[in-house]
Amino acid sequence: MGPLIHLQPVDLVVSTTLVIGAGVISVLLRLGIGRRLAVAAVRTVIQLGLIGLVLEKIFALRRAAPVVVLVLLMIFFAGREAVQRTGRRYPSVYLDAWLAMAVSCLAVGGVVTQVVVGVHPWFDPQYVIPLLGMILGNSLTGIALGLDRFLEHLAVRRAEVELRLAFGATRGEALRPALRDAMRTGMIPILNSMAAAGIVSLPGMMTGQILAGSPPLQAVAYQVVVMFMIAAAVATGAMLVVLAAGRRLMDADGVLHLDRLVAR
Amino acid sequence: MAARDGEGRKLFEGAELTLDEGRLVLLEGPSGSGKSTLLRQVAALLETSGVSRRLDGEEYGPGTLARWRARVTLAAQDAPVLPGTVGWNLEFPFTFRHVRRDVCDAASQRAALDGVGLERLPLDRDVATVSGGERHRLALARALLWDPTVLLADEPLAGLDPDRASLCFERLAEHAHRAGRAVLCVLHEGVMGFSGDGRLRLVDGRLEEA
Repeated sequence: MGPLIHLQPVDLVVSTTLVIGAGVISVLLRLGIGRRLAVAAVRTVIQLGLIGLVLEKIFALRRAAPVVVLVLLMIFFAGREAVQRTGRRYPSVYLDAWLAMAVSCLAVGGVVTQVVVGVHPWFDPQYVIPLLGMILGNSLTGIALGLDRFLEHLAVRRAEVELRLAFGATRGEALRPALRDAMRTGMIPILNSMAAAGIVSLPGMMTGQILAGSPPLQAVAYQVVVMFMIAAAVATGAMLVVLAAGRRLMDADGVLHLDRLVAR
Repeated sequence: MAARDGEGRKLFEGAELTLDEGRLVLLEGPSGSGKSTLLRQVAALLETSGVSRRLDGEEYGPGTLARWRARVTLAAQDAPVLPGTVGWNLEFPFTFRHVRRDVCDAASQRAALDGVGLERLPLDRDVATVSGGERHRLALARALLWDPTVLLADEPLAGLDPDRASLCFERLAEHAHRAGRAVLCVLHEGVMGFSGDGRLRLVDGRLEEA
């Protein structure tokens, strides 16, 4: 295997012409997304540039505190983003999303980094940050989709929920169909990527490892671990947030409090 | 019992309601007076604090309301159904944990449908394909098959032609007149010629014998 090819500033300039090409197509076809594309491209450069600088710094320090702080910040922003993607809200929705995100990601991330990969020292940023980043990114989607579907189910199919209650269903029995509906929706993206992995697409992390010079089988082993870890994190995160939402919106005696639910 | 409407206006306050065994009582009142809300309050589907519920001398407080609803069951307005077959819509209440009765068999489901004039509705029909009137009678058949101690029926005859409405009302009365049973019923606007064993009127937030 040859030495790694490092990207130079001029390579980035060349790639800029590619996104400008996409912009030209948008203008020619009057897609009306030229401006959004420009903003998105600038954001990509600035956000990734900043996180690159931060990561260089944290990697150089090799101390636990900055890694922990960065992970907590990532959880904070992921939870916030998850709620902002849902169509309805209730008063303590942010707290619920943060807790679900934190518990699922720290539990699954903990097992993967400490037991499966066994990183040393325990906070080694080279492993901990990208692994938790992937968990968070996917958990975010799962939590957002699951929560959105759950709240929509309660709002739109309220009559069905109350019909079950009226015939003596407990809170768990009344909410189970909404919960199942939400969990299925939240799990769809990861199920799809697990089913398509290797056939339709080479997953991003595996591609990255191969580009960085890893032997393909080693990259595959990591990708399998990552897929399983994401599935576990999405399932736990979506389940926790939906259970929490269910308890906020229906009291233990099965009275629905949908007045707490506001559409955006 | 007390309740307010969506705009915070008082619907009723300090309302008390007693149903005697073996009676079919009609609840009347101008539209918007809160009849449906009152039924939902009795069924413990609304905010439950400050309401005391008693059935056959037994008090139903916090933690027991699922059991209360299994005995004092609301057949809600607009006849809601669950997605699935007609049979599942008759059967699902029997799958809940609080139920100590056997799962209802196909024969009793068939008999319940026949009782409300749905002889030609198959149990395996998808409920999404039944008409509005059939759906109302299906909902009534489910409530009668469930056989609650107290049946709260909110506009059970809506959308039915006069013959079918009287057939269904007859079934409600039969249920009410059995030992240990009672029915509280709200009839839809403009329906005439049905009388129960008693009438209650909800006017200006007060509940009175009519």
